[in-house]
Amino acid sequence: MERVPITVTVNGQTVSAEVEPRMTLADFLRDELGLTGTKLGCEHGVCGSCTVLWDGAAVRSCLVLAAQADGAAITTIEGLATEGQLHPVQQAFWEAHALQCGFCTPGMILTAVALLSEDANPSEQAIREALSGNLCRCTGYQNIVRAVQLAAERLRSSS
Amino acid sequence: MSLQILPRGRWVGARVKRVEDPRFLTGEARYLADIQIPGTVHAAFVRSPYGHARIRRIDTSAARTVPGVLGVFTADDVAVLPPLASGLPIEGLKPTPQSVLAKEKVRFVGEAVAVVVAENRYVAEDAAELVEVDYEPLPAVTDAERAMAADAPLLHEDLGTNIVYQKTTTLGDIDAAFAQADRVFRRRFHTNRFVAAPMETRGCLSVYERASGQLTFYSSTQMPHMLRLFLALFLGIPEHKVRVISPEVGGAFGQKMTIYPEEVVIAYLGKVLGRPVKWVEDRRENLAAATHAKEQIIELEAAVRSDGKVLGLKARLIGDGGAYSFNTASALIEPLAAAGIIPGVYDIRAYQHEVIAVCTNKSPVGAFRAVGWTAAQTARELFFDEIARELGLDPAEFRRRNVITSDQFPYTTMTGMVYDSGSYRESLERALELVGYDELRRRQAELRQQGRYLGVGISLYVEPTAWGSEIALQAGFPFPSHDNATVTIDPTGKVRVAVSVHSHGQGHETTLAQVAAEILGVSIDDVVVEHGDTDRAPWGMGTYASRSAVIGGGMVALAAQEVREKLLRVASRLLEVAPEDLDIQDGTVFVKGAPDRSLSLFQVAFAAYLDGRVRAEGEEPLLSATKFYDPRATYSNGCLVTVCEVDSETGLVHLEKIVAVEDCGTMLNPMIVEGQVMGAIAQGIGGALYEAMIYDENGQLLTDTFLSYALPTATEVPELIIEHLETPSPVTIGGIKGIGEGGLLATPAAVAGAVLDAIWPAGRTIEQLPLTPERVLSALTAETGA
Repeated sequence: MERVPITVTVNGQTVSAEVEPRMTLADFLRDELGLTGTKLGCEHGVCGSCTVLWDGAAVRSCLVLAAQADGAAITTIEGLATEGQLHPVQQAFWEAHALQCGFCTPGMILTAVALLSEDANPSEQAIREALSGNLCRCTGYQNIVRAVQLAAERLRSSS
Repeated sequence: MSLQILPRGRWVGARVKRVEDPRFLTGEARYLADIQIPGTVHAAFVRSPYGHARIRRIDTSAARTVPGVLGVFTADDVAVLPPLASGLPIEGLKPTPQSVLAKEKVRFVGEAVAVVVAENRYVAEDAAELVEVDYEPLPAVTDAERAMAADAPLLHEDLGTNIVYQKTTTLGDIDAAFAQADRVFRRRFHTNRFVAAPMETRGCLSVYERASGQLTFYSSTQMPHMLRLFLALFLGIPEHKVRVISPEVGGAFGQKMTIYPEEVVIAYLGKVLGRPVKWVEDRRENLAAATHAKEQIIELEAAVRSDGKVLGLKARLIGDGGAYSFNTASALIEPLAAAGIIPGVYDIRAYQHEVIAVCTNKSPVGAFRAVGWTAAQTARELFFDEIARELGLDPAEFRRRNVITSDQFPYTTMTGMVYDSGSYRESLERALELVGYDELRRRQAELRQQGRYLGVGISLYVEPTAWGSEIALQAGFPFPSHDNATVTIDPTGKVRVAVSVHSHGQGHETTLAQVAAEILGVSIDDVVVEHGDTDRAPWGMGTYASRSAVIGGGMVALAAQEVREKLLRVASRLLEVAPEDLDIQDGTVFVKGAPDRSLSLFQVAFAAYLDGRVRAEGEEPLLSATKFYDPRATYSNGCLVTVCEVDSETGLVHLEKIVAVEDCGTMLNPMIVEGQVMGAIAQGIGGALYEAMIYDENGQLLTDTFLSYALPTATEVPELIIEHLETPSPVTIGGIKGIGEGGLLATPAAVAGAVLDAIWPAGRTIEQLPLTPERVLSALTAETGA
């Protein structure tokens, strides 16, 4: 199968590769780059576990092809903490006990980061709606909503 | 054994942040799919598209020619592997052996028929498409009652019936109870088939080293030691050459506590091919072929006095077991567990149950959080609501008149469960108070005047926890068990705890470290907890059935206590005082009343390992102990109250809030308890309102994606208000009970009860869950004639 050359910025690093046209972005990140923090929960775009940031917007990496990402800047969960410091959303998830098995957590966190970059002071309802494309089977969501509220508060007071 | 060895202090009972979280927050955690071993090849299963069909022929020739394919395997190629069957020693239970790859017949959509192994998953799936299976479709049966008919299509012809178990048990003087009754009520409920749907699907990776004959098997399993045992037996590999590693597990909820045919096949192929073989299930496979749960048809009959006292109950429970009476605990797993808990928290002294387990052309039924108890609780609580209304009693008052009170503990139920302690009536009153019950009833009446439908649902529950030998027996599943913990202080004074109970979200690395830290007088930062690897963790059953807080907490406490005593004996020789005069705090061993006479844990441990002079005659040098724990039966309890409003135009249910008052005895970490409760409630909301596995009459599965099988999202789960009552168990170490399942046990009854309450009297016509808008609306329409 003919391979497609792509150049992608992943977590700040420029990556050039040749990929099969049918390879998903999720498989590219996981299998080619070893960034296994991006999780595959359904591979049909419902569960949101594979969410990554694409030029800052939340995108389901199981529904796009790696070839489409040519020229894009991708942030995965591995790229969120800086110099060993957890991102405020990660820190808030920890403190609010917003995770149990942890499988949905990368996608949840990145979805929350995208939300807070657009709306620094979202209402509880807005948070719930923004997260409603991400499934969690462990927590019942209440602590996730609280974590996003906590992170929003801290990000507002630090900016 | 002292039950009081677990003190509460700095660690036990504290809201300690989870020590395992950083690796999950940063993407470093490695689940099965994330494990990459050089040379790994990938498997894709070919699965039955039919609910019931004879396999005439399988042609794998085209698939084999695809470049990158290493092999295609069918039942004939794995004939050396024995069929899987339930080993439960229950008289009258018919076994239904399951070939690990379907042989001659397929019995449900999704049953594995063949497996392709290729250099990568893409190629494996390409080739799987080319496997040609010639099926002769057979009539299917997907309804448990129809499957019992004499003319029903037979799944297992050699049995001559689809009924694998049927038995009636009478407890107490049931005839007298019904003779004395003022009123007799009857009700039928069909609880829905729903599934655990962990966010991580199943998966495994088989690595076989030919030179040594060593199998290392990675699996997303809840019970690594059980899996090791069965793999050794099935594959004929000596058990000491089998290592099972359960890495991070992305949720399980019971679905991963079984030995799956796919696991046995993959383990075997790793050995045959001499390459690491990996299989990661996709979501469609998970929904179709991983175990389903909770579907029962329950008919209840109650003998009731006009003052509301229930004199006797009769129950007929039909478990729809799916295609095979599965290996975990057979097709009895639902109806037998349900039969035991039908009387629940109520003081009922005559009870008769008929337990029936049936095979149908659907995915086999296995464990899912509150096995059997969800269905039983749902049927009984909704039934009691209805009886109360018929008698003109408030549902809360009806419960007051029947509930077991605290002066009755220990209370032995008619089914042989021994409730050790609890707060049944107290949790009811507290939940009603928190929700503002009387005010809600006033508001309900007002709104009804305006044509709006507000409802309140109550679910008062008891949850058998601490699944060890005794409670298993009391619940009807005679399967002995025990679990073990090893606690070791290293020469530098750091603590290592290794446990047989597995953690897949429960936070054991924190809670069990809290227990060890409390007893050893160290910081939780100086404790690591290991689990999930049979080479590193001691033997035991794994995690399921709300057992790990009680059993894990108990065994760690026992082992830590023994190590503490060893350490203090060494310190006593170093400090020249009696061990009883020593204490440990913050990693320092000191003389009571003279804290300046002290040694660090490092100094004592170092001496214990490396200074032979401090060792007494006959003393072991290692500061290590392995202890087992198989607890007495204990029971948690609680009460859920749900408030909802039903839109009479659309049939949609809007949940306003859920109040949960729970009592799990001593809490190791209230934050984690609340997490368990909230998560289980969300699953219960799904079961009450949204989730159902639907098959058509041909056995075709209609709900095989997350679009057609709907899980609750953040917008469907309302405000959850949780409050703790704390009645320590008098029979377990530290008084711990366990709380993993109560939320899912109780929520469907509370939510459905609220909906039926809102639309009463239309609610009486609904007998099947989930309460979809269609069902609610058609009940309302029939009632109002609108």
